[in-house]
Amino acid sequence: MKYIESIGAFTIKLFSNLGKFILFIFFFFKYLFKPKFYIKNNLSYFLNIFISSIPIIALTGIFSGMVLALQSYTGFSRFSAESAIPNIVVLTLTRELGPVLTGLMISARVGSSIAAEIATMRVTEQIDALKTLNTNYYNYLVTPRVLSLTLALPIFVTLVDFIGVMGGYIVSVYRLGFNDNLYLLNTIDFLSFGDYISGIIKAFTFGFIISIVSCYCGLFSDKGAFGVGSSATNAVVISSILILSSNYFLTELFF
Amino acid sequence: MIIEIKNLKKKFDKNLVLKDISLTIEKNKSTIILGRSGCGKSVLIKIIYQLFNYDSGSILYDNKSGVNIDKFSMLFQYGALFDSLKISENIAFTDYINNKTNFNKKVLSLMKDVGLEKSTFNRYPSEISGGMKKRAALARALYKNPKVIFLDEPTTGLDPINSDKINDLIIKIIKKRNITAVTITHDIKSAIKTGDNYYFIEDGIVRDKGECNKILKTKNKTFKTFISGGKY
Repeated sequence: MKYIESIGAFTIKLFSNLGKFILFIFFFFKYLFKPKFYIKNNLSYFLNIFISSIPIIALTGIFSGMVLALQSYTGFSRFSAESAIPNIVVLTLTRELGPVLTGLMISARVGSSIAAEIATMRVTEQIDALKTLNTNYYNYLVTPRVLSLTLALPIFVTLVDFIGVMGGYIVSVYRLGFNDNLYLLNTIDFLSFGDYISGIIKAFTFGFIISIVSCYCGLFSDKGAFGVGSSATNAVVISSILILSSNYFLTELFF
Repeated sequence: MIIEIKNLKKKFDKNLVLKDISLTIEKNKSTIILGRSGCGKSVLIKIIYQLFNYDSGSILYDNKSGVNIDKFSMLFQYGALFDSLKISENIAFTDYINNKTNFNKKVLSLMKDVGLEKSTFNRYPSEISGGMKKRAALARALYKNPKVIFLDEPTTGLDPINSDKINDLIIKIIKKRNITAVTITHDIKSAIKTGDNYYFIEDGIVRDKGECNKILKTKNKTFKTFISGGKY
């Protein structure tokens, strides 16, 4: 009997949280279009995210491109199709690996920090203090984070794409002995604008998912140190699952 | 402003925190709400401030059911200063985030009123002591010239000397600005020193009330036990 009770309690909690999350998104859009816009706050948050994430983005890009070139060579050399490596590297990066890996890395780097920061503010009554100071926390906390990350992720993905292609170029030219001009020519010729745009649309979507989920996890965290810790963990886990699942549907859309 | 609370009830999930609270907060007086930790004192003032909803009962603000919370201010238990902002920006928070720049003079005057050193003006909350944080939080609460100020355990976490200084400061500010104060505490000494009236809450019900200068003469057994630290 207790087993059935616990399943029931879990189901109720799951749907109640889902409802709360949908309401949270609704209120985000409501206040986004009725803005009290804190420009200084928005700009400084964007710069903060941007500058702190560049190193991790560069590392993600360079190693992804290098590994991709090596692994493609392993497979393609078996049926003498090595010349397709530049095409595979650029296509895989722009359409798939760039947005997904960047999304996952940023959810770990920025998403967890957003959730932990807001959860700490909740635990230390700073959210209540905002309300007592007539400040809407959607305008002050949620909007700058969601806008900054949604706009920053396409820039990050563009950087990862570029650095990744350079990583593939370095390995292909200096390790696998490709002709450097031919490699670059194949890369540029093969890449269409649609390939790049499909990756950028994914980046916008992932940026929104990471930021909105992280803000939600922070604002509705449990109290105490455990609450702060689990809100950061939940933010990363839920964002990652949503990135991977929405990636499939977006790929179907651009297939 | 007179605030009248009648038969207030509030529960979180299945936990009935406030069972039946009725009390009156008189204009320009200092009302103290006493009770053990976890008895719902903080929840009560957050309901009065309209930060939380309540399940049943009524709250009247000057005989009206609603109020503009612009007239209210709150000093939180641990200050609740914003970590990423300097002390001056914390104090003048609403002006600062609205890009107003002419708040320095007012901030300095408030810092003087609450006994905060000028050197803390450009410091961050993590760089100052607990007592200073309380003073900065008090200055922030006073920045918007409130008619009613809510003080959530203003002496918590402070040593006896600093507690006494904060109590003196609260008395001075209430008198100077002629404002209504609602203070939550479980410190009897502070209650006697800073309050006019008191309400003692236990198990979500008001168990005793009276004038603060007569606290030690109470005949209520539960309150006597609370005052004597459970040894009555």
